Amino acid sequence: MRIEPFDLNGPDRRDGAKLVVEQLSKSFGSGASAVQALAPLDLSVRTSDFLCVVGPSGCGKTTLLNIVGGFERPTTGRALIDGRAIMKPGRERGVVFQQGALFNWMSVVENVAFGPRACGVPAEKARHDARGLLELVGLSGFADRYPYELSGGMQQRVGIARALANDPEILLMDEPFAALDQQTRELLQEEIRSIWRRTGKTILWITHSIEEALFLATHIVVMTARPGRVKASFRSHFSESTDPLIAATPEFTAAKREIVGLLRSEAQRAQSLEAAV
Amino acid sequence: MAHSKALEQIGGLDEATLERRADRRDRWLTAVTFLVLFGIWVGLTGSGLWEPFIKPLFLPSPVAVFEAFQRLLADGYQGRSLAHHVGISFYRFATAFSFCILIGVPLGLLLGMSRPIRAVIEPPIQAIRPVPKLALLPLFLIWFGIGNLSKIVVIAAPVFPIIVISAMQAVRSVSQKKIQAAQALGASTLTVFRRVVLPASLPGIFTGIRVALSIGVTMLVGAELTATSEGIAWMALTAAEYLSTDIVLVGVLIMAIMGYTLDRIVRALEAHLVHWSGKD
Repeated sequence: MRIEPFDLNGPDRRDGAKLVVEQLSKSFGSGASAVQALAPLDLSVRTSDFLCVVGPSGCGKTTLLNIVGGFERPTTGRALIDGRAIMKPGRERGVVFQQGALFNWMSVVENVAFGPRACGVPAEKARHDARGLLELVGLSGFADRYPYELSGGMQQRVGIARALANDPEILLMDEPFAALDQQTRELLQEEIRSIWRRTGKTILWITHSIEEALFLATHIVVMTARPGRVKASFRSHFSESTDPLIAATPEFTAAKREIVGLLRSEAQRAQSLEAAV
Repeated sequence: MAHSKALEQIGGLDEATLERRADRRDRWLTAVTFLVLFGIWVGLTGSGLWEPFIKPLFLPSPVAVFEAFQRLLADGYQGRSLAHHVGISFYRFATAFSFCILIGVPLGLLLGMSRPIRAVIEPPIQAIRPVPKLALLPLFLIWFGIGNLSKIVVIAAPVFPIIVISAMQAVRSVSQKKIQAAQALGASTLTVFRRVVLPASLPGIFTGIRVALSIGVTMLVGAELTATSEGIAWMALTAAEYLSTDIVLVGVLIMAIMGYTLDRIVRALEAHLVHWSGKD
């Protein structure tokens, strides 16, 4: 087994953690019609961790990311970056969305230069650095195109380069490859892994794909159906492998089976919840 | 055999070429539509070639209309040149429309951005919107006199709410993700507005302006209904009283061309300024 159960909240983990989530919960609405999206939840992410959160749809994983991103306020509990409570969006947390978050009125290079310019870097320098980042994500020939002229996979690369441009402490990724076709997705997964290895960024990655989580993550959190809480958490070693065909190994399959087993009961519960609504 | 060969040829062409061909065909079909309509007009009225099927009193021939146009160019209408009538109408329309854009667009943006301001200003605008503005014409005459101001107000009355509300809706429908992306990149509220909300709203604002444009030209007729003795709509209206149908048609065609030209200008501006429109 290349995954092992792992307590993400051990006392040794919380000291000096990059991101700590404490008893975080979120409800929408109030009174009798209130819906709890996220049950009190604890997490800690250390520097250079690649943490994947896997869960059935509607389990509140995007809500978790929105709170860490500072776009939503928690109902109870708090999220901390380097010990400071998160109150609003900030440049130390780079966010990559599923799609449709690029600025279509700006060229690709202007999209990537947007963050540094907003933070006071002179336009010329920001553009120059942006071209370097576009090279990193393999888009140097497309700097002066507009996002809508690019394929879905290329657009996600722009999104990643744009998030990296501010040199954030942590990258928050909300199912960034979910809308891509299989081949493009696998290619980009390898690329994000190599970017992660080179830069040592801390990454919080939301996905519903177990393969993706096993392939990328150093740590995996499996969430329950609504209200989302941590069902199990693992340390994963597959991401250390350099074998591009790691997904075809028996260990990988066994690990996948274990997580599928956990998620299946959750997905069934989620469906019965949907039916009850 | 020849058929399959043709198919093969089509298969061999790239998409851009096929698109260009389809464009050319569409333009050709549009031209045919107008030619047929014009042909029906010529046919029904005879144009001096045969006995008209419809009396010139109801529908003068194209030739008669063109002659009326030449007469108006040479002699003017009721003591003023045709250019003066067109000019005064355009002045009334352009003043009203510029005011609506200069005030209405910023106001709409503000309404879209701020909930409290929306709560104060939107309800009265929405309440006034369904009131037929022509019904207010007598009131406008009393309030704003019989000069140009009352005409400008009549044209602006329906145009203004359309522009305000479309700008407001455009702001409110800006993708939340794009705003969040900008915030996460460290952008201040002002930067988010200037570099994200404003450009993302422009396509919606342009749509509102185009809708308002046709309504504005229509209101020109209402504006020149009474209390004036100049303007192209007034010319058509008074000519109708004397059953000078040819002059009426000249006026109608000039207003149609004016509306069409303005729409083309806004469309061209839109294509130039908001190339990202509809690309999400």
